[in-house]
Amino acid sequence: MRFIKNTLDKVKIIAGNNKYLKTFKPVLNAMDEFFFGTDKVTTLPHIVDNMDIKRLMSLVIIALLPVTIASIYFWGLRVLLVIMVSYAFGGLIEVCFAVFRKKEIHEGFLVTGLIFPLILPPGVPLWVVAVGVMFGVMFGKEVFGGTGRNIFNPAIVGRVFLTIAFPKIMTMNWQMPFNKGLGGFIHFQNTVDAVTTATPLVLFKNQGIVTSYSNLMFGQSAGCIGETFRVGIIAGGLFLIVMRIVDWRLPLAYLATVFVFPYLSNHLIHTQFALGGFQLFSGGLLLGAFFMATDPVTSPFTKPGRWISGALLGILTLLIRNLSGYMEGVMFSILLINAFTPLIDTAVLKARYKKGRPR
Amino acid sequence: MLKPARTFRGGYRFKNFNGQARPVIVENHMPVLVTIPLKQGFGAELKSLVKKGDAVFAGQIIARDDNVVSSPIHSSVNGVVEEVRRMNYFKRQTAMVIIRTNNASREILRIEGCSLDWARLSNEKIEELIYLSGVSSLDREGIPTRFKSSIIPPEEVKHLIVHGVGSEPYNISLDLLLKDKNLLNFLEGVKILKRIMPNSKVHLSLNAKKRSIIEQVAKLTSQLEWLDTYPLEPKYPQGYDEILVPTILNQNFPYGYSAANIGVVILNIQAVLGVYEAVCNGKPFIERVIAICGPSIKDNIHVKVRVGTPLKDILAERIKIEMPVRVVMNSLLTGFQLNDISLPVDRTFSHIVAIPEKKEREFLSFMRPGKTRDSYTRAFLAGILPWIKRAPDTNKHGEERPCISCGFCERACPVKIIPHLLAKHVQRNLIDETIMNYGIFNCIECGLCSYVCPSKISLMKIIKEGQDKLTMQGCDSTQCILPYFNLKGIEEYRGVTKL
Repeated sequence: MRFIKNTLDKVKIIAGNNKYLKTFKPVLNAMDEFFFGTDKVTTLPHIVDNMDIKRLMSLVIIALLPVTIASIYFWGLRVLLVIMVSYAFGGLIEVCFAVFRKKEIHEGFLVTGLIFPLILPPGVPLWVVAVGVMFGVMFGKEVFGGTGRNIFNPAIVGRVFLTIAFPKIMTMNWQMPFNKGLGGFIHFQNTVDAVTTATPLVLFKNQGIVTSYSNLMFGQSAGCIGETFRVGIIAGGLFLIVMRIVDWRLPLAYLATVFVFPYLSNHLIHTQFALGGFQLFSGGLLLGAFFMATDPVTSPFTKPGRWISGALLGILTLLIRNLSGYMEGVMFSILLINAFTPLIDTAVLKARYKKGRPR
Repeated sequence: MLKPARTFRGGYRFKNFNGQARPVIVENHMPVLVTIPLKQGFGAELKSLVKKGDAVFAGQIIARDDNVVSSPIHSSVNGVVEEVRRMNYFKRQTAMVIIRTNNASREILRIEGCSLDWARLSNEKIEELIYLSGVSSLDREGIPTRFKSSIIPPEEVKHLIVHGVGSEPYNISLDLLLKDKNLLNFLEGVKILKRIMPNSKVHLSLNAKKRSIIEQVAKLTSQLEWLDTYPLEPKYPQGYDEILVPTILNQNFPYGYSAANIGVVILNIQAVLGVYEAVCNGKPFIERVIAICGPSIKDNIHVKVRVGTPLKDILAERIKIEMPVRVVMNSLLTGFQLNDISLPVDRTFSHIVAIPEKKEREFLSFMRPGKTRDSYTRAFLAGILPWIKRAPDTNKHGEERPCISCGFCERACPVKIIPHLLAKHVQRNLIDETIMNYGIFNCIECGLCSYVCPSKISLMKIIKEGQDKLTMQGCDSTQCILPYFNLKGIEEYRGVTKL
């Protein structure tokens, strides 16, 4: 602890005297705050909650840990490399903007940097990761003015960009996961006996094959890095809800719609719409519902708004998934509904605060 | 009658803070010098009836004016007036009478005409006793009597709410206040109040966690059809008038005005006990029970002090001096910070809270398990170990960050406004009718939004700023209230400054 403090102090003095290094002050300040907390005291109220953004973000990361560890097991140690690339290049953009704006570095990026690799295919080339995360952070967040002002979820923006810009890379790189012994913990990548396959959704759409629930739940199916170990995602999501960091309304509305809606559609076009249970546990739905649609900045803050947006997300996801050429229904629907968030909130507020009514 | 337990939406329950005052009471030694503010509790500031050099005795009225909304003020010791001067007392220039004690006897002169058999006294006499004892100035709008101690006459009171909810982080002990005979005295006090406010219905609201007290009260009052007992969940800010009225009476509150404007009088337990003491024992209200709470106090107890005693007489020997301390009056969320310990105690004090002023930084603060850290979220170990006492301090526990619309403030807000939305409007200087429509004037300044905010934004301060700016533009809280309520005593209310 003392060592870190001394080093930081020394670096600060050096940076303070150097004309060019001075611009990197936000980085040093962020490190200082990260390690040593704050010395500010309250005014009124005299006590404040112990929760802060750092802990809030670290709890989201803790909730993602089971999924991350499982993904290393399924896809090999290369996943770690992907995550590191994502943090490094996303962080670079974040720091550039902080230096440019002479503002502090905010913690929101810690979550984006981890979620982004989790929604990429396992065989994604590293340069694609770097391009995607840079695009996502820059055009998903920083151009709007940084944390708290963005309209779109930065990870989703990056992912959508990649899907449209490099469709081949993003849709052909599916592998079968490791499932024996120590699996990916001792392998770099599943290359030797790599079986290129299709995701459960594609299998259903093209050949009508329904993957079994146990395979879906425990990660024995093809898919994005972090979306296949669904038990872990559910555990992480419930953890966040129990911790009161995520509101339960939106994920519930989203998942319930996805579960109920296909039963109606299945009667009409059963070749296009799989049953609700399968829809629920395939693709990135759970990861999207628990970790991305609930991003507080880009989801509605009013309670009715959360119900509405959850239901819209569900319907949109199913329509895109089952009737369009794209498989990435979750991703596109979250992006679209993000754009509608301010509208939903405004409409709810308008209805709630009608003029001439005592409250 | 005992009613089912009630609560309200929003709010937050402060559980198990370290340094709750034990139900023990100690009488503080007699002060050598008392400073008596001539504005205490509800009412206008009075002119002194005594001057330098006058001899006064404990219980003697030193200020009284029957023509303005006010209650008499007494000398709390036997002694000689040393000086009458204006001093800065809680951000307000207030006239003070400074008295040097020359006789340390604890004797207090009784008011004439009191009787243990109060049922025989006339209404006028009872009201006079309550008025002369000074009890009538307690709480937000005082106790109405025919002597202009409140803004409405006693006949216009439709509801009387007596509350002992204890929803703050630190509370005065209900067990102590209603111990043994005090409980009977308290109920007598309630009956006396019912007598002078004949048209009122009485609502007793007590902390739902204190089952034994509620059972006793229910047993003793089962015959009284004009009295209802409500167990209330001790969720902050349940003790506020603005929250008690909707929870108990299912009625909207005229935010920005007082409960008396809609014919409701709200009193706490100490005030009712004071009424009993005044009418049955003729005791002027010159002693106050104060809970000394917080982890920076050596021994957390209650003390009985004379009004006007300087804080240093109470705190000097009780406070831990090893580390810097912040001393706060009444409430950790909204109370004044007591920087100057030469200031005197007045009738409105009920708690003094001392917590450590924590300026030092902590290594990897946000990663600690947090066994003693209180939080609205359940993200600390304290959330799953409710029996471990939480240690409050004044550190901000994090840097200020932009709002991420997490919605904690909205969920915690007891008056159903959306603090972060209002704050965003105010910060972008979008100050117009919209935010008035969003209910900016409903804010009761309980401070809960600032408490729960993980981005450490001072929402309460920003909302208040917005209210001021809006008022300057000509929008007034009256526009939100007057068309919907039939308020009483508004003229009188204007005369008395808001507490």
